[in-house]
Amino acid sequence: MTQLIHDSYRYRELIWALAIKELKIRYKRSVLGFMWALLNPAFMMLVLTLVFSTIMRFNIPHYAIFLLSVLLPWTFFSQSLSYAVESIVTNGDLIKKVAIPKMVFPMAAVVSNIINLLLSLIPLALLVPLLRHPFYWTWFYLPVPLLALAIFTLGMTFFFAAANVYYRDVSHILQVVLSAWFYLTPIIYPLDAIPARYQWLLKLNPIIYVINGFRLSVYYGQLPKAPSILASFACAFISLFIGFSIFRKYQNNFVFYV
Amino acid sequence: MPSTDPVIRLENVTQRFRVIHERPDTVRELFSKLFRNRSSYHDFEAVKNVSFDVPHGQAVGIIGRNGSGKSTLLKIIAGVYRPSKGTVTVNGTLAPLIELGAGFHHELTGRENILLNGLLMGYSKRDMMERQQAIIDFAEIGEFIDAPVKQYSSGMYMRLAFAVAIEVDPQILVLDEILAVGDMGFQQKCFERIRRFRESGKTILLVTHNMADVHEHCDRAILIDHGSLIVDGHADEAIAMYKTLLTPEVVAAH
Repeated sequence: MTQLIHDSYRYRELIWALAIKELKIRYKRSVLGFMWALLNPAFMMLVLTLVFSTIMRFNIPHYAIFLLSVLLPWTFFSQSLSYAVESIVTNGDLIKKVAIPKMVFPMAAVVSNIINLLLSLIPLALLVPLLRHPFYWTWFYLPVPLLALAIFTLGMTFFFAAANVYYRDVSHILQVVLSAWFYLTPIIYPLDAIPARYQWLLKLNPIIYVINGFRLSVYYGQLPKAPSILASFACAFISLFIGFSIFRKYQNNFVFYV
Repeated sequence: MPSTDPVIRLENVTQRFRVIHERPDTVRELFSKLFRNRSSYHDFEAVKNVSFDVPHGQAVGIIGRNGSGKSTLLKIIAGVYRPSKGTVTVNGTLAPLIELGAGFHHELTGRENILLNGLLMGYSKRDMMERQQAIIDFAEIGEFIDAPVKQYSSGMYMRLAFAVAIEVDPQILVLDEILAVGDMGFQQKCFERIRRFRESGKTILLVTHNMADVHEHCDRAILIDHGSLIVDGHADEAIAMYKTLLTPEVVAAH
């Protein structure tokens, strides 16, 4: 673990440059360029607001904010994984030619998606007053769940990126896992929509603890309780520990399989 | 004062590759392999028990036929491969020129690629900013520097890559078959730069099939064949041996 911190610090400029490269390429050759990082979530929000306030009406007030408060962090999670799972394989040519620590690639995928997530919070912050939803002071608590989410995601990306080097099925399996996981997590529905006798099952889903802080602080204006915060960081660090240990064990052999 | 320790030291280095005839790339193939209980592979030693030292300030040519293990050897020295057996010690910064422009991205501009390539080689952003102008000047790229490199001619691409590697001023320069860069004028400039590089007491590893270059630029040459070290000595001695290796092939071809 100290290795990870040491390498992240030592290669911080490279990780940052790779993350920026990722974003630049994503928005290159488009007239509006970087603006799309803001416009994309803004349009998505517009559509969701229209759909849920006129067509499909839930008895949850300001459903768009209810949904977006966890949909945006979820999107960060699933996009980071989808990018990072291929990161070692797509950079194979580079890995075969230059001696660089392989961890910079999944790391850069996560960093570039963090930038995207932070940008997408801007249209959300604009939507809140627009829908006359109260703007809670608990917004200032967001850096805490953001940190837990970033650590949790990083651990998962290390695992999937390493596994995909050996078996290319992993990137396909990941897509299946992500879509099942999406519906098994209270994102489009509230926690209490699940029958009481299945509530224990929810407790086994690690991302709930991580994501819960976002909905509580943005939608409900509450802070998560201490055990829930502890659980979120416990999940985050377990994920990072397992993911990085596996990644580290196999990283010197990646060059023979890419 | 330069230390007497060798800059590069290889001790009994062996690089083994597992050549899998039908590698199970997907889980399905893995299962079918498991059930048939048959794995077909053979181990192949690309480099066999090679040891040598390179002292500070020497220019060493590494020669050998195609597939003899020269590039594998360079990759071991550059730290891309961790050898299966033996140890490698490298003291000092090393600029690998193993295939120029490996770290270039086509959509990024020349300027952006200079930075990215430098960071990939382990230099800091500040180092690269300081050297940026020198690199642009050396590469003779002109106003194209702010255009994406996919618009470059192949000559411009190679010149920029060469300029990055040589202007970062490493202590050890590793050149793998790249001296065919650019036109005659640019080649002259490259050789001039390599000469100055040597005069400043730095170490060069040169892999090439052009024996005239080895004769002219190297104090010493190492001949590799089938992964083993055959000759380690004066450049002309290694070149002579290399030519005898080639002869039977030439005869057989006729």
